Amino acid sequence: MNVDRNWVPMKWPCGPLEIAHRNKLGSQSPDLKETLQAWARPSALELLKGTPINCLIVEWADGGPEDSAQQQALKPLLEAGRGIGLSFVAKIALKGDAGASVAAARAAGLSAVMIENASGLSSELPAIRQFPRDKAAWETASMIFSATENVWPGLNLQTMNGDTALAGPTGIPWVNSNAWFSLLARELAPGKTLWLDFDPPAASNLLHPAAYALAVADSRAHESRWIISLDDELRAALPKGNVQAKGVWEKLCESAAFFEEHKEWQAFKSQGILAIVSDFRGDNAYLSGEVLNLLNRRQVQFRIIERARTLPALEGLKAILWLDHETPSAKEHAQLLTCVQQGGLVIAAAYWGTPDVKPTEKDPSLRYRLYNVGKGQIAVAEDGFQDPYQVAMDTHLLVSRRNDLVRLYNPETTNCHSSGESVSLHKGRQLVQVLNYSSEPAASVGLWLNERVESARLWQFGAAEARTLQGRPASPGTQFDLPPLSVYCALEFEGTKL
Amino acid sequence: MGAMGAAAGAWLARPMMSLARAVPAGRVAVGVCHEYGADVTGTLAKMFDQLGGLEGLVRGKTVAVKLNLTGDATDRLGYLPAEITHWVHPQVIGATVQLLGQAGAQRIRLLESPMSTSEPLEEFMLQANWEPHDFASAAPRVEFENTNYLGYGKTYSRFWVPDGGLMFKGYDLNHSYEDCDVFVSLAKLKEHVTAGVTLSMKNCFGITPCTIYGDDSPVDEPSLAPRGGRGPFHEGNRPPSKSAPPAVNGQASKDPGYRVPRVVADLVASRPVHLAVIDGIHSMAGGEGPWCDKVRHVQPGLLVAGTNCVATDAVCTALMGFDPMADRGTPPFETCDSTLRLAEQLGVGTRDLSQIEVLGTPIAEARFNFRQS
Repeated sequence: MNVDRNWVPMKWPCGPLEIAHRNKLGSQSPDLKETLQAWARPSALELLKGTPINCLIVEWADGGPEDSAQQQALKPLLEAGRGIGLSFVAKIALKGDAGASVAAARAAGLSAVMIENASGLSSELPAIRQFPRDKAAWETASMIFSATENVWPGLNLQTMNGDTALAGPTGIPWVNSNAWFSLLARELAPGKTLWLDFDPPAASNLLHPAAYALAVADSRAHESRWIISLDDELRAALPKGNVQAKGVWEKLCESAAFFEEHKEWQAFKSQGILAIVSDFRGDNAYLSGEVLNLLNRRQVQFRIIERARTLPALEGLKAILWLDHETPSAKEHAQLLTCVQQGGLVIAAAYWGTPDVKPTEKDPSLRYRLYNVGKGQIAVAEDGFQDPYQVAMDTHLLVSRRNDLVRLYNPETTNCHSSGESVSLHKGRQLVQVLNYSSEPAASVGLWLNERVESARLWQFGAAEARTLQGRPASPGTQFDLPPLSVYCALEFEGTKL
Repeated sequence: MGAMGAAAGAWLARPMMSLARAVPAGRVAVGVCHEYGADVTGTLAKMFDQLGGLEGLVRGKTVAVKLNLTGDATDRLGYLPAEITHWVHPQVIGATVQLLGQAGAQRIRLLESPMSTSEPLEEFMLQANWEPHDFASAAPRVEFENTNYLGYGKTYSRFWVPDGGLMFKGYDLNHSYEDCDVFVSLAKLKEHVTAGVTLSMKNCFGITPCTIYGDDSPVDEPSLAPRGGRGPFHEGNRPPSKSAPPAVNGQASKDPGYRVPRVVADLVASRPVHLAVIDGIHSMAGGEGPWCDKVRHVQPGLLVAGTNCVATDAVCTALMGFDPMADRGTPPFETCDSTLRLAEQLGVGTRDLSQIEVLGTPIAEARFNFRQS
């Protein structure tokens, strides 16, 4: 058996083990218990008909007394699911040897196990390794791997005052997004698929229909997959035919189906003229992760380069942010200097360029020393890299907004990601995906591209076909007036240069 | 203040600052210009000629031009670029810079205090999809400075308000407002939800640095970077940093409609405006920015310039369909005091149209009623 990277995964909490978990958490209620029992019945799978969801994650073992009952109780569900083409992954939460649980999963016909502790794993079943995202074990990541401790995408509830979004450090409403981590995973675990494990926030009523669709889009637009997870209210309401719950579910499935219809976008490469270089590990992990997150929030389009890999040909790059405290190796040093001498900008915490170069005058708001080397510059932070917010802002300004690939207008709750068939900005199909992180539709959002194109194909959830969206010149690029944006849209363009 | 007032030469009269004294009359030129484009430069050139020409004012001088680029660079009214609604248009800026350069200005410095940031002004412009090179190439020596913090200065410049001030005794500003010979306010023709109208005088509200006058400025000393909006002015929610001159009356009203007009009047009394230029070709009605309720795009098709900011704003107020002699309770000052009246009382200029020489298109022909458009 092999894992299938095209699986669309969903958590399917049910049965005795989940009921025991909820009892321990003190969150059990008669209604919830009934729901957890109901979802263990084969009839619950009716919900999945006509949806792209084809892989269910079921609680399988945690070393407690309910393991056996759980595995027994799931048999009818597993059998019925396999009958309609579903795959099942056993979630095993054991601190010790998981061998017996894995064997039981294999015997029960499950396709894979999801497990954090890999000790005692045999090759009986493929494993989906799971780890907290700040302890990412990139080297041992399985073909599909999963990260926990993610955020629920959307406006940060702690920065809300009633219906009003309060400003974050950037002066615009702070939004939670896993985008940066998804992009990082793609670079640090190339060729593998990241499943993001996060649950809806506790809610006293059904979440807004846009909330689940956004959770799907925030993952898929950045080349990861969310393990779909419903809140208790929604799971209770769906089998009862609740109309509102059905609407939420349909929106969720519509968004998941959309991305399945555009799988080819998963192969697109992030575009940007700025490269972020780090090992993204150990002492460098916090700063590098925060800088990625904050640059993303500024709509800066970047490429991530893991330091251990040979720096790729710097074609198309205008700037490199060297985030790590460690100075470059001799080979890296030579590559970086070549880049600078040819006109590039390297931003670093310490100067390691050609000796005897005196720094030049700079803007007083940027606390950097600028060294002209060849045709380019090395910008050195006077106080090193300390505050990630400052590093992200300074980097954006040092590179200059003149080099922005895209800009959003009326963007307060929106963000975007630019990718293409090639890292080159001018080859093949290109894609800009725009997301709205508010439950309210974003109105009058303008998307500006730093190149001239006549039109783009506008893709939206629920529309089988793209429609043509005309651009209008906005020197030196093109402005697109986006329709009201509930959650997501994508602009695809190629061969339409003016 | 040093030589600021006198530096502009005899071409204009230095405002008299005593209360109840005669105030200088003004000359205001009104030009009709229906659209941005090639006509802007020609229209402005004609208007400046009507005012007596720029050469006597700026030849060999350092000219500081305060732009009106209020709010965030990415905030728009619908899909319209900021310059079509609430920012002074880059063509008006470029034409003004070109004409100042042609008149012999030695150095032209474009100034603004962009919202909550110390980033270079050029970067702020780029975010709005503007090209700063266009301004830099319009005259021999053009510079940019973000005045929302210390900027290139070593210290802040202190401007005392003559006769003690209405809200504050004085104001600490970026050095650029002192290190110039001529000060130009390049504004937009707009209504303002707090101050009734925002023209060349209200534009000067933005010369104050939020490192001192920001909501989150440190208690004692200015911050390195601007923090928050100007709550200490708007609502008196806290005093400015103690390094700056204090309020005249710490118990003064917290009503923004009382405070903001007085701060503006103080500012134009302490930092005189030598030339007011107002872009009313396209604008918005109902407020000063897209964040205001019920704002809409309008196209008055007007340019206005004058040598006295009170007189110029009075003419603009009339062109917008209001009575410049109106006061609190009467449009456009339904909920605020009239900055025009307050500045007049400080001796900056007159708002009495009968005392103002209007050149070019008469007000009656050019009027564009903002409330009925």
